[in-house]
Amino acid sequence: MDNIRNARPLEEGLWTVADGGLSLLGHRCASCGEVFFPRRKCSHCAHCFRRTLEEIYLGPKGKIASFSVVMIAPAGDFYRGPVPYAYGCVDLPEGIRIKGLLARDYLDILAVAMEVRLSTEVLYVSDEEIPVEAFVFKPLKENRKDEQ
Amino acid sequence: MKPLSRMRDVFVTGIGLTTWGYYEKVFQYDIGSEAIMAALKDAAMEWREIQAVFCGSVYQGTASGHQVIKEVGFTGIPIVNVENACSSSGSAFRLAYQSIAAEIYDKVLVLGVEVMPRGPIPSTAFRPWELASGFNVQPANYANLTVRYMKSSGATLEDLALVTVKNRKNGALNPKARFQKPITLEEVMQSRIIATPLRLLHCCPLADGAAALILCGRRNVKYRRRAMQVAASTLTSACYGEGYLDLVDSLKYPPDEGFVSLSARQAYEEAGCGPSDIDIVQAYDTVSPSELWDLEELGFCAHGEAPPLLRKGHFDLRGRLPVNTDGGLMSRGHPLGATSGGQLCEIITQLWGEAGARQVEGAKIGLAHSMGAGPNSSVTILKK
Ligand SMILES: [Zn+2]
Repeated sequence: MDNIRNARPLEEGLWTVADGGLSLLGHRCASCGEVFFPRRKCSHCAHCFRRTLEEIYLGPKGKIASFSVVMIAPAGDFYRGPVPYAYGCVDLPEGIRIKGLLARDYLDILAVAMEVRLSTEVLYVSDEEIPVEAFVFKPLKENRKDEQ
Repeated sequence: MKPLSRMRDVFVTGIGLTTWGYYEKVFQYDIGSEAIMAALKDAAMEWREIQAVFCGSVYQGTASGHQVIKEVGFTGIPIVNVENACSSSGSAFRLAYQSIAAEIYDKVLVLGVEVMPRGPIPSTAFRPWELASGFNVQPANYANLTVRYMKSSGATLEDLALVTVKNRKNGALNPKARFQKPITLEEVMQSRIIATPLRLLHCCPLADGAAALILCGRRNVKYRRRAMQVAASTLTSACYGEGYLDLVDSLKYPPDEGFVSLSARQAYEEAGCGPSDIDIVQAYDTVSPSELWDLEELGFCAHGEAPPLLRKGHFDLRGRLPVNTDGGLMSRGHPLGATSGGQLCEIITQLWGEAGARQVEGAKIGLAHSMGAGPNSSVTILKK
């Protein structure tokens, strides 16, 4: 985790640091067991439609299901991070697949089925000079040759 | 839901299609009115006979259909503007079809029109944090699906490139396509990477374009030989748990049937036919691998069979099941809101036997599929 002082998250409520560890904030339906990320705004479960959603922590462990290294800047000026960058689908042990950014320093070693760990990274520095953080998935140390 | 096929028969009696491409200073009312005038001439019909307009577009701003009809001439009729991403004009077509089948109108115009913004298009069908994370790169979203498709089907990067090669070969015979030059496998495989594993020439080009179709009830058909019957027109959105573009699939509750298969199954039921009855297909090749999984989901072959069939020439213009006879999105280009309309115009042209050098002999029934952000899946079956 980049412990940047005064950094702000891309959006409030996506993740938290609890018990010393980083977790994503999700919902789990107590009736059907379906898991959601981010937390739902609508008060019922999108699968069984019962109003039995409970907050849960997701991560930090995950496994890459698919990914793409993007060589072009996204249109529309919404994204202000570096290019190239990578994002993909990551399976979490809580039984949910989510879309997430993949840590920028490891674009060359990314692979399907690679074990990754939740982290945060400064995506860009805002016009007010505030670092803006995103949650990212980083290959586990044993996969990172540079740090062996 | 009452099956439309058990209501009044509906026919397409005229089409108008502009030449798709990028033009200097072209406006939607220029190409839109050009397509409408061509369709009226084709159907031997006067503008004042048209009782309603359904117009599909995505990036034309407010009241796009009205902007075009203002040029053609207002007559007080209802104009309904339909934005349904890449299925916009397919959705407009379905509304027109329903309104005639239900005997609300006798003669209706469907228009698809788009002057594309220049440069990469911002797909905004995402949440703010997803946009800020850069998740709105559609080639990258398709790339994620491609990675999984290649793994589960055994398709190779060369197979993906062969779709582009096939479609650009067909497009070379289509005087209305944006790109009318064939392309080699090497050119596709050496084009620059957009989002791994997809390269520039695995992705369809954009274009400006318009397509108009005139639909009538049986008693308003002037020339029966040129009236092609609408056998089915369906529209679906995502089934729970399915992953596509902005949607991530559920690990706990994956659907038994996805929204593309569902739209196809409903279409076959409505038309009273099956995939083996279809002579020609307009599949959705927004990226080249999507044509392969599309053909599988539309029921033309089992999962993993499309790549070997493609290699054997099964989907070639002279193959057993010609796919994207006009060059598809790869050659024609992709004016989002007009794309479904363009697909339908090609099916009609083929059924009329007027497709010239790209004519498929004896084509009697054709299927067009478009899909896009939302997601939406629109299947239309037209027959002689
Ligand atoms: Zn539930």
